[in-house]
Amino acid sequence: MEQECADNSVVLCRSCDLVIRKRALPSGVRALCPRCHTTLYDTPYCSINGMLALCLTALLFLLPANVLPVLELHFLGSVRTTTIIEGAMAVSNQGYWIVGIAVLVSAVIAPALLIWSVFCQILIIKYRLNSPFFRAVLKRLLSYQGLLAQLSMLEIYMISILVSVFQLSDFADIFLGMGTFCFGMLFLVTLFLQREYNLEHMWSVLDE
Amino acid sequence: MSELNNKMQGITLGLTPCPSCGKLSVHSDIHCKRCGKALVLRDYSSLHKSWALLITATILLFPANLYPITMLVNRGQIRHDTIFTGIVHLVESDMFPIAVILFTASILVPMLKIVGLTAYLIAISFRLPISKQKLMIGFHIIEWIGRWSMLDLFVISITAALVNMGQLLDAKPAPAATAFALVILLTQLAAKVLDTRLLWDRLESKDDANGNT
Repeated sequence: MEQECADNSVVLCRSCDLVIRKRALPSGVRALCPRCHTTLYDTPYCSINGMLALCLTALLFLLPANVLPVLELHFLGSVRTTTIIEGAMAVSNQGYWIVGIAVLVSAVIAPALLIWSVFCQILIIKYRLNSPFFRAVLKRLLSYQGLLAQLSMLEIYMISILVSVFQLSDFADIFLGMGTFCFGMLFLVTLFLQREYNLEHMWSVLDE
Repeated sequence: MSELNNKMQGITLGLTPCPSCGKLSVHSDIHCKRCGKALVLRDYSSLHKSWALLITATILLFPANLYPITMLVNRGQIRHDTIFTGIVHLVESDMFPIAVILFTASILVPMLKIVGLTAYLIAISFRLPISKQKLMIGFHIIEWIGRWSMLDLFVISITAALVNMGQLLDAKPAPAATAFALVILLTQLAAKVLDTRLLWDRLESKDDANGNT
């Protein structure tokens, strides 16, 4: 019985441990647990080349989004700009380093690592690098993927920029620059990349 | 396989998914064949960890809301704002949509998370007959929406970096910022460490009658 079920014919729900028989799904549909509605699996969709394109685009925008100022403030003739990192540094310097680290991790470090990690995974899978070294690297990257995805919060930072624009426009003139554009693009591309990405699938590459 | 019915759980078949990669394994394997992580049938200690994190977060919620979270210097006048007065100020200055966004992200979501997680943990620990379906739906919402509390901290960091002109106009974070950051972190962790399968094991016989196919 145990051995019989340990093949691919059944899945267990991650949240409630219900045993569910796997069925074929039409494309674009997700299977939910009938008891607790956790996502179980979805249809194989993994166009490696498409993901590679998204990944390269994201890498292109990564540096300018972090280096160029995301907001510009003009106040009585003086101009102030800020990048994400400067924002994090500003709060850290005031003594709120926990806040600074939280901002830095969720808006700079985690997204950057996430994109690089997916990029490396795609390269390993696309070029079928099958040596034990690359398999170990892939294994390591995949096991941190969930954590990185949880930590990166580009979408929330995007909304924060908009909220700040509205709040500050009371006091001064606010301008959006190239950095804002790059950051917006980075957010969009990463959004699509994460939608296309399927961790379950990436793991199944290691089974072959 | 004909005995595979709707109510059967992996634990009765001796099967368990790998905590890291999700591969279905026979529990007697101890280690996952694909990624090498140790397999656990149920993580009973996760309940205590989750309680500990949640209680700490609840305590920190008070300083986070009662102390000022930002300090604004405008033409020599210093104003301290707590999360709530900041939002009230936004409403007064006719920025209602922004006020709603900030209210949801920084007051409603953390509170809901703590109340929801407490209900969840109480239901497991004391075997209360609360509908599991409802708890689980609540849990999914909590997991998904929890990250949005970071919004306020991002706004503070942007503002602090931009608005910095001495006595004329200056914005700085204030003590509640750290407490608030910790509340977000701890509640996120509390939801993450919890092994939700415990709920379904413990309330098995009692409450399955209400709506299940």
